[in-house]
Amino acid sequence: MHFCNYVNWLKNKVDTRAYIESGIIESYVLGLADAEEAAELEMLCKKYDDIQKALDEFEALMKAHAFDNAITPDAAVKDRIMHALAEDFAKEENENIVPVIPLNVPDEKIKPIARPVWNYIAAASIILLIASTAFNFYLYNNYKSAANKYQALLTERNSLQASNDVYRTNMLIIQDTDVLKINLTTVKEKENNLATVYWNSKTKDVYLMPSKMSPVPSNKQYQLWAIVDGKPVDAGIIEPDCNGLCKMKNIPKAQAFAITVEQKGGSPTPTLTAMVVMGKV
Amino acid sequence: MPEIIKYTETELVALLKQRQQNAFGYLYDHYSGALYNVILAIVSDRELASDVLQEVFIKIWKQAESYDATKGRLFTWMMNIARNASIDLLRSKSYQNSRQNRELSETVYDSAGVTATNIDLIGLRKLVHSMKEEYKVLVELSYFKGFTQDEISKMLDIPLGTVKTRLRGALLQLRELVKK
Repeated sequence: MHFCNYVNWLKNKVDTRAYIESGIIESYVLGLADAEEAAELEMLCKKYDDIQKALDEFEALMKAHAFDNAITPDAAVKDRIMHALAEDFAKEENENIVPVIPLNVPDEKIKPIARPVWNYIAAASIILLIASTAFNFYLYNNYKSAANKYQALLTERNSLQASNDVYRTNMLIIQDTDVLKINLTTVKEKENNLATVYWNSKTKDVYLMPSKMSPVPSNKQYQLWAIVDGKPVDAGIIEPDCNGLCKMKNIPKAQAFAITVEQKGGSPTPTLTAMVVMGKV
Repeated sequence: MPEIIKYTETELVALLKQRQQNAFGYLYDHYSGALYNVILAIVSDRELASDVLQEVFIKIWKQAESYDATKGRLFTWMMNIARNASIDLLRSKSYQNSRQNRELSETVYDSAGVTATNIDLIGLRKLVHSMKEEYKVLVELSYFKGFTQDEISKMLDIPLGTVKTRLRGALLQLRELVKK
């Protein structure tokens, strides 16, 4: 395109005579000009009559020369050509005989061809949707599982915290300098029971730790006694769920402590034959 | 029976584009001789030239749609189809192979230039043969052999610009020879 503008600019300056005498026209007609030269000539021909005329003249010259030196080919050549083109000719004939466009064109032909691209996009979208939904289910299940575990952890933590609190409290109790530790050792040699009493000399609170006590039948219970001036004083029933330190009754004065096995609910007086452990203060 | 109808080139073009088979027949009858001459000048061998002629007319029928009247005459268009088909044949493998077994019926090249070994030169070739050496070789290589100016410049070890100007000069001289 810029080349045309250049030519325009040169319009008044183009020496058409020189161009015609340059030999470019001859090379164009003989098929020896390159694309650029050909385009230039075609353009100049439109603008300059004398260039167009010079082209015409040389073409006529070459044609005349070819006709003057014409050599008749073998008649067989024409036959071969017509034979080779017979199919093409027949096709053209048929196209010319049949009227071109029928009046009602079925809708199918008018409808634009469904671009297969959209089908693929739709299919891909559906697959993505299904995959996404499946993934959602998976994620939700994972979430639920994680949520449950978290709850369980919280619960565990709470109970652990509670236990921890208990142990801390127990530690405080035991380490208290005012607290006396009294070991209650097994009375019957066959058995191997052990309990510990922690007795705060100031507050007179009594704590029992059933360190190693054999389990009792469900209709019986352990009971703690304080021996005060030779007489047993009820210090409290040892509940089955006492695992660490259990607070018993407050005992102002005692010389010894003992544990007996009593009927469930306890007894006002101890069954001395059922004594399992004892310890002196 | 003598032809009553005479078509001008313009009419022929129109009819051909309308796929009129009669016009094609007319075209063959009137133009085949001239085109055969063009082909023989390049190919030399008559049998092979006949094959090329056949191919050329088939192409003319099939490519009639692509002929652009604004770019030149119908005959120039046909002539160039004929020339290109001829050069294609010369460059084809089958031709290259058979050449060795054949009596050389065209010009042979040595490092110095062009040596004609056959007196029976057809059409343009006869004219070119009478040109001066430096013009002759350029026309031979470009028109009859189909080499580009770039290739020629390398083959003859001449600058491309020189090839261009010299070839144009040769063609101008050729024009003068054709006029006679």
